[in-house]
Amino acid sequence: MPQLNPNPWLFIMFMSWTVFLFLMQPKLTSFISTNSPSNKNKTTLTPTPWTWPWT
Amino acid sequence: MNLSFFDQFASPQLLGIPLILLSLLFPTLLLPSPNNRWINNRLSTLQLWFLQLITKQLMMPLNKAGHKWALILTSLMTFLLLINLLGLLPYTFTPTTQLSMNMALAFPLWLATLLTGLRNQPSISLGHLLPEGTPTPLIPALILIETTSLLIRPLALGVRLTANLTAGHLLIQLISTATLALLPTMPTISVLTATVLLLLTILELAVAMIQAYVFVLLLSLYLQENI
Repeated sequence: MPQLNPNPWLFIMFMSWTVFLFLMQPKLTSFISTNSPSNKNKTTLTPTPWTWPWT
Repeated sequence: MNLSFFDQFASPQLLGIPLILLSLLFPTLLLPSPNNRWINNRLSTLQLWFLQLITKQLMMPLNKAGHKWALILTSLMTFLLLINLLGLLPYTFTPTTQLSMNMALAFPLWLATLLTGLRNQPSISLGHLLPEGTPTPLIPALILIETTSLLIRPLALGVRLTANLTAGHLLIQLISTATLALLPTMPTISVLTATVLLLLTILELAVAMIQAYVFVLLLSLYLQENI
C-alpha cells in the first residue's frame, strides 16, 4: 500500500505543515472581524433629541 | 487491466517533482481574501458564516485559555475539509490518504495538548490516568491501560483519517471498475452498480466532511482535558 510507504515522507510532512501554517492560517485570519475595544470610549456619541423646527 | 487498486494512492510525480504540493496548495486558492468592506461577495460571506459556525462549535466546550487555539483548530478543520472534498473529484490525488501527512499533523498537535496540560496543571493531567472510583486492586492495571490509550492517541488520530479516506476511495474505484466492466455484457447489473456508485459517492461526501470534523473535534477534546 503506497500511502503507508510514500517516498517523499519528509517532504510531505514538511509541506503539509508549511502550507497549513503559512498559507491556511493567514488566509483565515483575514476573515476575522475585530471586536470593538472594551477599554476605550466609543467615538460615536449618543444622539441628543432634536426638536423639529416646523412643529 | 493489470492495475493495482492501490496505485491511486501513490504520491504522483512529474519530472521528479512531487505533485502532492499542488494538491496541498489548491485548497488555499478556494479561500479568497476578503477585502476591507463591510459587505463582501457571496462566497466570502458564506465562508465567513461557515468559519464562525465551526469556531463556535469547537470553542464551546473549551474554557477561556483554550480559546487561543481557535485559529489553529479552525484552519486545520478547513484545510482537511477542503483537501478531503477536493480529493473526491475524479482524477485527483488526495493528500489525506497519506499516512505521512496525517501523522505529521496529528502527532505535534496531540503533543502540544499533552505538554500544555503537563506544564499548566500537572496533577490534573496525570489524574486523567486513573478514573475516579476505581477499585484498589485494579489501579495498577488501569494506569497501564490509560497510559497506553493516551500514548496511542496520535496514531489513532492519523490512522483513522487515512483509513477512512483510503477505504472510501478504494470502494469508489472498485465499484466504478465493476460498472465499466459489466456494461457490455450485463447492462442491467451495470445500471445497478452505477446506482450504488452514486449512493456511495454521497456517502463519501459525508465521510469527507465528518472525518475532517472528527479529527479536529478529538484534538479539541484532548485539549479540553489538558487546559
